[in-house]
This record gives sequence, C-alpha cells and structure tokens, in this order.
Amino acid sequence: MIRLEYVEVQYGRKPAALSIDELDIKSGERVAIIGPSGAGKSTLLRTIKGYVRPTQGKVEVMGVNFMSARRRDRRRINRRIGLVYQQFHLVRRLTVLQNVLCGRLGITNRWRSLLGWFSPEDRRVAWSAICEVGLRDEVHQRSDQLSGGEQQRVAVARVLAQQPAIILADEPVSSVDPAWAEDVLELITEVQRRHQATLVMSLHQPNLACRFADRIIGLRKGRVVIDDDAAKVTEAHLKELYRGDASLPFNGATGRPRADQSRTA
Amino acid sequence: MPPAVPGRTNRVLLRIAVGTLILAMLVWSWFGTEVSVTHLLSSGPRIADFIDRLLPPDLTWTATEPRPFPPPLRIAAAVVGLTLQIALLGTALGMAAALVLGLLGAENLTPHWVHHPVKIALALLRSIPVILLALLFVAALGLGPLPGVLAIAIHSVGMLGKLFAEECETADLGVWEAMDSAGSNWFQKVRYATWPQVAPQVLSLTLFRLDMNLRESAVLGLVGVAGLGLWIENYRRAFDYQSVATLVIVTMLLVLVVDQISVYIRRRLK
Repeated sequence: MIRLEYVEVQYGRKPAALSIDELDIKSGERVAIIGPSGAGKSTLLRTIKGYVRPTQGKVEVMGVNFMSARRRDRRRINRRIGLVYQQFHLVRRLTVLQNVLCGRLGITNRWRSLLGWFSPEDRRVAWSAICEVGLRDEVHQRSDQLSGGEQQRVAVARVLAQQPAIILADEPVSSVDPAWAEDVLELITEVQRRHQATLVMSLHQPNLACRFADRIIGLRKGRVVIDDDAAKVTEAHLKELYRGDASLPFNGATGRPRADQSRTA
Repeated sequence: MPPAVPGRTNRVLLRIAVGTLILAMLVWSWFGTEVSVTHLLSSGPRIADFIDRLLPPDLTWTATEPRPFPPPLRIAAAVVGLTLQIALLGTALGMAAALVLGLLGAENLTPHWVHHPVKIALALLRSIPVILLALLFVAALGLGPLPGVLAIAIHSVGMLGKLFAEECETADLGVWEAMDSAGSNWFQKVRYATWPQVAPQVLSLTLFRLDMNLRESAVLGLVGVAGLGLWIENYRRAFDYQSVATLVIVTMLLVLVVDQISVYIRRRLK
C-alpha cells in the first residue's frame, strides 16, 4: 500500500528531517508513529500524502511512484488519502453537514459544487459519515459551536466522506480534551476497520499508541529506531526512543500492565 | 541579588533624529501654507457676515418671488435619490471587480507573477482621487450621473481590492490544505476554504466603503456629476447661500442615516 525506499527529506541546509532506508505498510494495517518532538513524525505523514517531496528516494503509494508520476495520477491518489489534523481545520462558520460535504469536493461535479450544489449521493455519503461518528443531532449546527472532541469527529466524518483508502492522522488527539482522546482514537480505529482502510497516525502518547495501533514505528532524529508489533514494544525501547526528552512519564508508558495510566497521561 | 536585565541597544539617537525630522516637516508645512493666526482672527467680521448670509436655511417649498432656481427642498427631494444611487451602483460595481482582483492579488492564493501585477494595478487605481477621476470622466463622457458611477467604481476597486487581498492573506491556510487534501481544485478551495473565512469582513468593508462613497457622490457635483453636489454648486454660483445651507443639511442627514444603517449591519455581521 505504502512503500518508502531510501527516502531522505531535507529542509534547507539542516540535517535530514527524515531518513528512511525502507518502510512498508500493508493494506489494512494500523500503524502509530511515535517519537520525541521534531523527530519527523509529521514529515513522514506529509511525505506519504505527497505534500513533502523527498530530496531523494522513492515513495510509492497505491502502486504510484510519487517521484515520477504525472500530476494527474498524483492528484488521483491524493484524493484517496484522507488526512485528520491536530487542529481539525474545519470551516468554522459552516455547519457540520456543510463541512462533511467538503470531503466530497474531489469526487462531486466541481463546477456545481461552487454553487453549493451536491448530488443526492454526496449527501447520502455525508449523512452516513455523520451518523457513523455520532453527530446525528448536531448535523445542522455550526461547527465552531462544538467541543474539541466533537470537532475532531466532524473532521473524521469529512475524511470518511472522501471514501479514503488510506487515513493519515497527524496527532489527532493533541488538541482534544484528554478525557475525550480515547473516544476519538476509538472512533478513528473503528471506522478504519469498518472501511478497511490503512491507518497511519502520529501520536504523542506512547501508551495510546500501543493500545490503538497494531504496529509501532518509533522515529528519532528522522530515523526509524523502533518498528515492531505494538505488543512487543517494551518500556526499555521507549526509554531509549525518548532519551533526553523529559516531557513524558515513563512508568507504565506502554500502557501495560497499568491500563489506567492512559487517562492521566 | 538577582542578575540585572541585559541592556538593549541605545535608541536615543534614533529617537532624536525621527523627532527632528517630524518637526522639520511641520515647520515646512506651516510656512508653505502661510497659516497665520492673525489672519484668522482679523477675518472675524467676514466670517460673521458669511454665517449671516447662510442662515436661516431656505426651507420654502413654493417660490413666492421669481428666482433663478427652484426652492432647495424641491431640488433635494428630486436629487437625493440620485446621489444615493450613484454611490450604491459605484460601490457594487467596484466590489464585484474587487472580489476578483482581491483573490488574484492575495499572495497565498496565486503565484507571484499573478499577484504582483495585480497589486500594482490596484495601487494605481486607488492612487487617483475620486474627484480627479470624475473630472476626467465628465470631460470624456459629458455631464450626468455616469461619470460619477465610474469614478466611484474605479477608486473603490483599488481600495477594496487591496483590503480583500489582505483579508485573504490572513485567512487560515490549514483549512485550505484540508480542502486540498479532499482533492479540491483551486476554485473549490477559494469557495470553501477562503470565502467563508473572509465573507463577513468583505461585506463589512464594502459597507464602510459605501459610506465613504456616499460622501464622495455628494461632492462630485462640483465637477459636474449630477446629484446634490451639483445643486450646491449651482446655488453657490447664484450667491444663494441659504439654499446652500439647506442642501448641506440634507447631505448631512443622508450620510448620517446611511452611516447608522451601515454601523448596525456591520455589528450584526460579527
């Protein structure tokens, strides 16, 4: 589904922000990227999305090599990759339904959409996405009147309306009230399973990563230092990954065996 | 003892230099315009005489004695609408063009070879004062309301286009990227990412411009555009200052009413 070979990303003259020899993510996998701030988590996601062009290497998504593909093909793939942001990026003044319909913009008739006209099918897809994220009753509310957790649900519904093959989530719960973080992650992993999409998300909290992902990729200074089943990641691994980063609690950082840790972390 | 705050660069010299420059410019202006307090004070009797001729405003409806022009209230009733119409139409045309040019002139929405020329064009358009534009259009198109509409429209394009572009530049780009992520084209991104964010401010700026254009519209009569201003000029030429006073009051009322409506709507937009 996603394949990176000898990818190097460099911003200006600084040392490489991302340097990956080989990374393979299969269809339907559920991957969490963890690592200290500035380790290249966002850069990796944006490289997969095609927003960051590597200085060298090969990025292949759904069988299309981004480095050599024509613009048309890149756009076709781009549309199948849904992105959930830390800051939601909803259109504040529009309603939940209008925001979710925006997920259809790449699929629906482009010129009609400029007049606010969406096909019955667009509306059906949007409505089912809204029901799926549990915002049935808020469908006509303005999105800026919702709580952070609800806004992220709208963003997830917008991605669903896009009918994505790959869902990328860039720190999806960092701007969400910690109490709602698990709900949002549960929702994301649930829709991922139901729609048989591939999920790659970056997370700040290793405990949540181990609970909600099957596979953990640990980045440090742009390099992959952990790539393993979530069940096999140990505290020693994490300690090594976050060496020098004092912001994280390490006791029970994997979420095992003390499951209650996640609520307070 | 806690450590002292590290000092910052000494700016005293810079302040003295800027202060001196401003002072020099004011002195230069004072002598250039030959403003003199004694002249102002010695004009007391003249001013009093002028005010005497201005008052009371002529409020007659039917002319009792033969006079060069009809009574001012009749004129006001006939042309107040025209002054408003010129402002409304000019502002609407200006806004429509400014919307397009504003989007094209926003640095974050178009490549530099589009927004640079557009920005320069907008600056040129707004560098010509409305009254000068009107003077040129009257010469080219003749008397009537049309030159006024065009002059106001063109100046408004320059002002509003610049403000719209700046508004688009402050819009959150995250939403723009989210729309791109869903596969939108440029027009869709403008429609769904930029427009909802700037729309209230665009309307508010346009209403504000309408206010200013109404005042312009009243003044443009001085160069031959139809409306209140033209009749103020007509009465002034006939030394009928009481009628001038009436029309000035009507102009003030018109501007105040529109201003209040616009303030009300702009408050509701927030």
